[in-house]
Amino acid sequence: MPRTKGYPEALDKKLADTRLYEDERHPEFTKTVEKLSMSIPHMCYQCGTCTASCPSAPRSSYRIRKFVRRALLGLEEEALTDPDLWLCTTCYSCTDRCPRDIAPTDVIMAMRNLAFKRDIIPVNFLKTVQAIYTTGHGVPNNDVNRAARKKLGMNPEPPTTHAFPQYVKGIQKIIDYYELKKNADRIVKEREG
Amino acid sequence: MREYAFFLGCIAPNRYPGAESASYKTAEKLGIKLLDLEGASCCPAPGAFGSISLEIWYAMAARNLCLAEQMKKDIALICNGCYKSIWEVNHKLKHHKELKEKVNEVLKTIDMEFKGTIDVWHLAELFYDPEIVGVQKIRDSVKVSLEGTRIAVHYGCHLMKPRKERHFGTTEHPTWLEEMVGALGAEPVEYRNKMLCCGAGGGVRGYDLVHSLDITNEKMINLKEARVDALTEVCPFCQLQFDRGQIEIEEKFGVKYNLPVLHYCELLGLAQGMSPQELALDLHGISCEPFLQKVL
Repeated sequence: MPRTKGYPEALDKKLADTRLYEDERHPEFTKTVEKLSMSIPHMCYQCGTCTASCPSAPRSSYRIRKFVRRALLGLEEEALTDPDLWLCTTCYSCTDRCPRDIAPTDVIMAMRNLAFKRDIIPVNFLKTVQAIYTTGHGVPNNDVNRAARKKLGMNPEPPTTHAFPQYVKGIQKIIDYYELKKNADRIVKEREG
Repeated sequence: MREYAFFLGCIAPNRYPGAESASYKTAEKLGIKLLDLEGASCCPAPGAFGSISLEIWYAMAARNLCLAEQMKKDIALICNGCYKSIWEVNHKLKHHKELKEKVNEVLKTIDMEFKGTIDVWHLAELFYDPEIVGVQKIRDSVKVSLEGTRIAVHYGCHLMKPRKERHFGTTEHPTWLEEMVGALGAEPVEYRNKMLCCGAGGGVRGYDLVHSLDITNEKMINLKEARVDALTEVCPFCQLQFDRGQIEIEEKFGVKYNLPVLHYCELLGLAQGMSPQELALDLHGISCEPFLQKVL
């Protein structure tokens, strides 16, 4: 899902028509998001403090307030197919300032989890998983760094899974328990061949 | 001497080893011994991993917590992202029975169990806490005063936010890190929109680099306005975004700032008399030379 200007066609069409159609609403979506996020988006009165606090808002079409509204109305399709869903830096400024005690950041995280269940996910997220699966680290060691560590009188491999690779097995077991690696590999292959 | 299991994370040991090395040495001078947490992994990255599945994120972070529980030591760490994963998962699992049971079901497959017997701390908060170290002790440990330098502070996001779940007080205008910079003899400098995110988190750096750098660039503009000699932070991921990010900003936007970016532990190391070589400052994307010339 490379980020492009504009939305996918279906979403573009949907956004051009701002009327609310009853058959697009899924009340169970609201409930799932609330459960996953441990938050209360149905309490939102759309004041917009969240969007005003958002570092991503001034430089994109990402509007956190819109996503909270989608959670409240149960607009699952519209929320999960919007590429802006992935522009939240999870800085929690909106959460700190929300006058209704909602955690919009956690609402976004819940929606991202639900999107992944439908294979909607940017590849870079999956690549982090693949790196952790192989080495235990999302940002693994490299030769330049090994040389620098040596010069500092440290072990070239830090005392993590790098120096103790026998621990990687446990990590793989946890990830496999949820079949995450399998799904990640499949989606990356579908996207990149 | 208080002992903590030192949770390294990824970016400090694998990109800025000077920050790791400085943490051991500076902490030891302040009465804190950092022990290796053998077999620890990525925390895992709260933005990238948590976005895929919070459930797996809990289980993976719990594995790291179990390693420290086996050592019977509290965890100390030096990265805000790690703090989000390790502190928050520890907190959530301690308070949600159902969640803990679910995680333990998975951990059983690798013969581990989350018990909830330890606490998690950021090294910076241990340094600031007067009952453990405190600003006065930091001041007393200074050998090379950073007098005459103007230093700005970046708090980052996941250490103090969300405010209601943490214990740091205000997130609109905190000043405790400035106090710690002041203790080194430097002048802490205020700048516009200090609490703005660095732009790297939530997987955005990988998803849309230009968008993420644009946020960083806004911070850089505000920092330039304040005419600072260096920026200090307590999160290696923010450090990466500001330090290597400046090179990317030059490539993408054609603007040059050349602002040295140092982890607070590196800065403290300098003030306690460590040499730039001992801190591997040459690994930084942006040269720290102009700043060092003012100090040394």
